[in-house]
Amino acid sequence: MLLTFEAQEFLLNEARLLDARKFTEWLELLTDDIHYWMPIRRTTQAKELELEFTKPGGMAFFDDSKEILTMRVQRLAVGRAWAEDPPSRMRHLITNISVEGGDANELSVHSNFHLYRTRLNSEEDSWIGSREDLLRRVDNRLMLARRHIYLEQTVILSQNMSSFF
Amino acid sequence: MNYIGEDEVIVVRDRKNTINVLVNSCSHRGNTVCRAELGTTNSFLCSYHGWNFNLDGTLLAAPGEEAFYRGELNKSDWGLMRAAKVESYRGFVFATMDANAPALADYLGWVGRLGIDFIASRGEVEFLDGVHKNRIKCNWKIAVDNLYDWYHVKVSHGTAMRVGFVSEEAMAPMSQMVLLGEYGHGIGGPGISEAELAAFDARMANGGDGDAQWFDLFASRRVDPKVRAELGPVGTRSFGHPNIFPNLWVSITQQVCLRIPRGPFETELWWFNYLIKDAPESQRRQAIFAQNHVFGPAGLLEQDDGENWSHSTRGARGPIGRMRPLNLSMGRGRDQVSADPSGQSRIETVVNEHGQRWTYQSWQEWMLADSWQELIASHSQPPTGVV
Repeated sequence: MLLTFEAQEFLLNEARLLDARKFTEWLELLTDDIHYWMPIRRTTQAKELELEFTKPGGMAFFDDSKEILTMRVQRLAVGRAWAEDPPSRMRHLITNISVEGGDANELSVHSNFHLYRTRLNSEEDSWIGSREDLLRRVDNRLMLARRHIYLEQTVILSQNMSSFF
Repeated sequence: MNYIGEDEVIVVRDRKNTINVLVNSCSHRGNTVCRAELGTTNSFLCSYHGWNFNLDGTLLAAPGEEAFYRGELNKSDWGLMRAAKVESYRGFVFATMDANAPALADYLGWVGRLGIDFIASRGEVEFLDGVHKNRIKCNWKIAVDNLYDWYHVKVSHGTAMRVGFVSEEAMAPMSQMVLLGEYGHGIGGPGISEAELAAFDARMANGGDGDAQWFDLFASRRVDPKVRAELGPVGTRSFGHPNIFPNLWVSITQQVCLRIPRGPFETELWWFNYLIKDAPESQRRQAIFAQNHVFGPAGLLEQDDGENWSHSTRGARGPIGRMRPLNLSMGRGRDQVSADPSGQSRIETVVNEHGQRWTYQSWQEWMLADSWQELIASHSQPPTGVV
């Protein structure tokens, strides 16, 4: 129960940083060996559901190391990253948090999210999905060591995904 | 599953290894008979009333043939609609709904074929599981226009250069080559002169010593004399972006991208990704890295393209804005089409808009022609002389 509470505090704090556009502080929550991954999802027949997601090591919307995530953040800071300049307005709603396994030093945590974005006057994006995270305890605080993001879209119904999930 | 224009088509290999292209619409009430993006099936069973179609589109059975149709349903008349022609060039399958369309090789012409040769000349390729798909609120032609556009790179993608994701040298080479083909095909982008190719060969003969150039990576894929013969003396020196008219981009990132119209104001982008079969593991990893990080909706470059294309469509959409002809003048009247004994005519120049002008001109000719017969008679030959 205590671990669930701790995981929840971590994820809610993380979402608060992202919504406040504090991306550099967000990077500090990530371990150096983080793997941040969003596979491609497809519509399949019920009998072939094993084809629904692409596999690790193959095609993906995100397949990022810390280095790439840092570049994404740096790009936003440079100015003229047109997908985010003017910056979008973002809100992460994080729910259904549960610790699925692991121990006090490495927790497997499931959560659902709704990431809502608006841009300019009338552009609206809504992404809903689940995340399977690995939270690792480093120097007595939790850090994000792995994030697998499963989106409820096959064709991404947005002109870009310039947000963090 | 794929699209021809706004019609959904099923592309399916049957038991005889024949590739069938079928319109995904039941001949009874129009219902789609296939709902999965990929997979295998024995037949296509319509979920509405149970008409069942073979993989080649023929109607196998309909419930109540005797009891309700009184034995009068002539099944051979009621198969799924099939593409009028399905042909392939070096393993790439194309289909058309028009029986009067030219043969594929003739339609592609030397420029369209060369675009595919850029891929096929690299050896056996395998397409990877997973197609990146997303929707952009832009007219599909602005996406096609962009593949010829080596002018936008520094501004649209300046941040990707600033953070070191791509180098300015590789992204904005001044030396450009444009090849234009019948029916709107084209290849535009980086290209090197005969002298630069000779200098590359000399460097390689010396074991690669000397100052590396931006084009070494591309040129090194084409050292095999067999490949050079396949691509021709001019094609060997082009590292540009082919567009198989109207909407298939052959990208230098080991990808091909379909730009599928969803009405005039929305386009779906589908990125197909391939690897060279006998490439070493490190090169395969490198290719996958580029495929997942350059383009696609989260790509470090294409994020910003999506923004610009949708706003180019939006900005030019108002009643006053759309009255004004846009500026497509770059390089017009200042360049020369040079013939070559091989037949590979080309323009060698700096950054330009020849590819875009050719695309829009060809598009207009397609739209004004009522039939393939008319288009074959009326379409422009690629320009010669001063362009």
